[in-house]
Amino acid sequence: MPTLKKEKRKIKGGYFWKILWVDLEAEEIKEIEFDEAFASKYIGGRGFGAKLVWDNIQKRKVDPLGAENVLVISPGPLAGLFLPASGKTSFVSISPQTGIYGDSSMGGSFGVELKQAGIDGLAIYGKAKRLSYLWIDNNEVKIIGNEKLKGKGSLEAEGIIKEEIRDENIKVATIGVAGENLVRFACVTSDWGRNSGRTGIGAVMGSKNLKAIAVRGTKDLPVYDLPRLEKASKASFNSLKENKNFIFWQQQGLMSVIDYVNEAGVMPTYNFREGVFEHAKKINGYEMLSKYKIGDTSCFACPMACGNVCLVKEGKYRGTVVEGPEYETACMFGPNLGIQNFSAIIKANQVCDELGMDTITAGNIIGVLMEAQENGLISEKDLDGLKLKWGSEDIVFELLHRIAQRKGVGDILAQGSLGIIKRWPQLQPIISQVKGLEQSAYDARIAISMALGYATSDIGAHHTRAWTIAKELEMGMDWPLEKKAELVIYHQTLRPLFDMLGVCRLPWIELGFDENQYAEFYSAVTGIEVTLGQLLEKSNDIYDLTRAINMKYGISRINDYPPERVFTLPMTEGPHAGKILKREDYEAILDIYYQKRGWTKDGLVKEEKIKTFNDPLMSP
Amino acid sequence: MPRRLAVIPERCSGCKICELVCSINRFGVNNPKKSAIRVMVIYPHPIIRMPIVCRQCKIAKCMENCPTGAIITRDGIYDIDGEKCISCHQCVISCPFGAIFLHEDIDTPFKCNLCNGNPRCVEACPKNALLFLPEHVLGQAQRMNSVLKYVHMKEVEYVEKGERKVLRYADIEKGKTED
Repeated sequence: MPTLKKEKRKIKGGYFWKILWVDLEAEEIKEIEFDEAFASKYIGGRGFGAKLVWDNIQKRKVDPLGAENVLVISPGPLAGLFLPASGKTSFVSISPQTGIYGDSSMGGSFGVELKQAGIDGLAIYGKAKRLSYLWIDNNEVKIIGNEKLKGKGSLEAEGIIKEEIRDENIKVATIGVAGENLVRFACVTSDWGRNSGRTGIGAVMGSKNLKAIAVRGTKDLPVYDLPRLEKASKASFNSLKENKNFIFWQQQGLMSVIDYVNEAGVMPTYNFREGVFEHAKKINGYEMLSKYKIGDTSCFACPMACGNVCLVKEGKYRGTVVEGPEYETACMFGPNLGIQNFSAIIKANQVCDELGMDTITAGNIIGVLMEAQENGLISEKDLDGLKLKWGSEDIVFELLHRIAQRKGVGDILAQGSLGIIKRWPQLQPIISQVKGLEQSAYDARIAISMALGYATSDIGAHHTRAWTIAKELEMGMDWPLEKKAELVIYHQTLRPLFDMLGVCRLPWIELGFDENQYAEFYSAVTGIEVTLGQLLEKSNDIYDLTRAINMKYGISRINDYPPERVFTLPMTEGPHAGKILKREDYEAILDIYYQKRGWTKDGLVKEEKIKTFNDPLMSP
Repeated sequence: MPRRLAVIPERCSGCKICELVCSINRFGVNNPKKSAIRVMVIYPHPIIRMPIVCRQCKIAKCMENCPTGAIITRDGIYDIDGEKCISCHQCVISCPFGAIFLHEDIDTPFKCNLCNGNPRCVEACPKNALLFLPEHVLGQAQRMNSVLKYVHMKEVEYVEKGERKVLRYADIEKGKTED
């Protein structure tokens, strides 16, 4: 391993010590070595991304869709290693959807390939003169112009590039038409359907004329003590296998959550108005398993195999195949739109994957339009004469295509919630979003910790940072606010740590895998003995850093509130009928939350803390 | 009793844990590109995930075609003798399954040697898609399937402890005596 100067460094594994800077405009590629202080403080993944984005916004004013915006892709020190679910990689940038810090992690094995090419971080800026893709073949890096990729679907483009490179086993991350057309919630896709879905990273690639990134990496991953890692990992794999839900989880994956959420009464139904969907049985995991599922898929090194490949075998969507649907997609296109036909959900998933757009946002805003038209908040003329009704599948597909092509009403929807509110301010109260990011598929009215989690997530209303709803429902409503705020902060610290290390959170949250094991993995890999607590402290610092980035864009307390209907619109059915959140409770928990985080009452990170992020970093 | 590594592609999820354990056991490195088993993922025409690994063919094309006699066999397990191998890649292209692999760091091609009778990938596979079976059991699943799918089976319904059940049977050949 010539790139690793073992004798000099204290950190003896986990890194190739290389960030690859790609200037698409000047067609310049530079390798920059980082030091141990940087690796130790920012760890990798979203940590590296946040620091590089922070440095960039210190130097210049950054428009999310401008050439100056830096897109960072970083797999993390544990990515690609023999330990459970080490296939995650973070995509970080200033988000075109929200205009603030944005990141989204991707499963599959794209990040592993990048890591095996010897890259700890890929930082892309500038704008290519014509539609291009980046081809990284270990140490050889090329920017290849290819106008023929224009208008190709995400999966289609993956196939074309694999054929062009003549290697079926390379990894390719692509954008679809939505990304090319700068749809604000465009995603990046790899491995035939693994997405970096949220915050519009696909549009950032589109704005750079970057259709895809193709990688072939064959290097040994640096591990300090491989026998120690092997021992810890074998025990970990065994403990997962012994979990009583292991086989059930492999069979249904995240689709198993549908029954749980519906029974708990927190299913997003009819644009988040209700929490119970009367037809949930028609779209649940058992329905998928018995009629549609034709295969299991998993991300790199993951025994849980939560991915499902589904095929529609009959009816008008016959022949539709997709890696999915996952829980979020099934809910946002199912109950949230009043759709009870599982084939239509599969179709919507496949259409979104190929167009390259986020299913959560797409399902969310189409639901808003359905409610708006029902209530007469917008006219048929505004919607190009389309008649939207709950459950009208055909119009959903029509809208998805109009969004990607930016035709008619699609051009407004393509701008996401913020654009919709600008065009139709009257829709503000019925859109479930925070900071411009549309809420994902868990209701927040009855669980104040979930509302707080959405509201204080650094990227907007996504459950990735804190998914506390199950715990709160289990603990009962009388649990003190203090404990709930602590739980949210614990989630917001541990879950992003997974994104820094390059591993998935699901073994922990779904099968109760002991999070302390990650400290053991990190110690074995790097040769630096750490405890989970020490790693969490670093993750907590990154949360302050992303907040500092958002403060640059004017974010403060007023932006930390859950969607309006959480306070105003009670559900009419289910176990939580009649309930809403009390504003004063929310104000109280927000105060507690800021205090525990060490932020000011206005939700600002203190100046002396912010200064600690100004340590110099080599950049071109 | 000779045992064979059997692959059930329908169970494979493509997680590549087999590749990881193979590279660690074989070369002492964490590198799926240095493993003697590879999961091929094809999508969407057709949709399949299939681990490719040496089948220890009794009439081995790699051995037949090796110009230097570098393919050696011990207890029915084939391996490549690094001393004799000239790395001409004749074995790589003669294997009908593509189960002999190359890596730029390694001078000679490499293939599965069943970890000297204890294949690590089998115990590591979380989906039981890899099995290490006595030779005579191979094909048994297909034989069972063939029996169960036999179209001329008849059914009789009955009730046991209040539960309705179906028993399938193949009736005896009646011949043409009835005519």
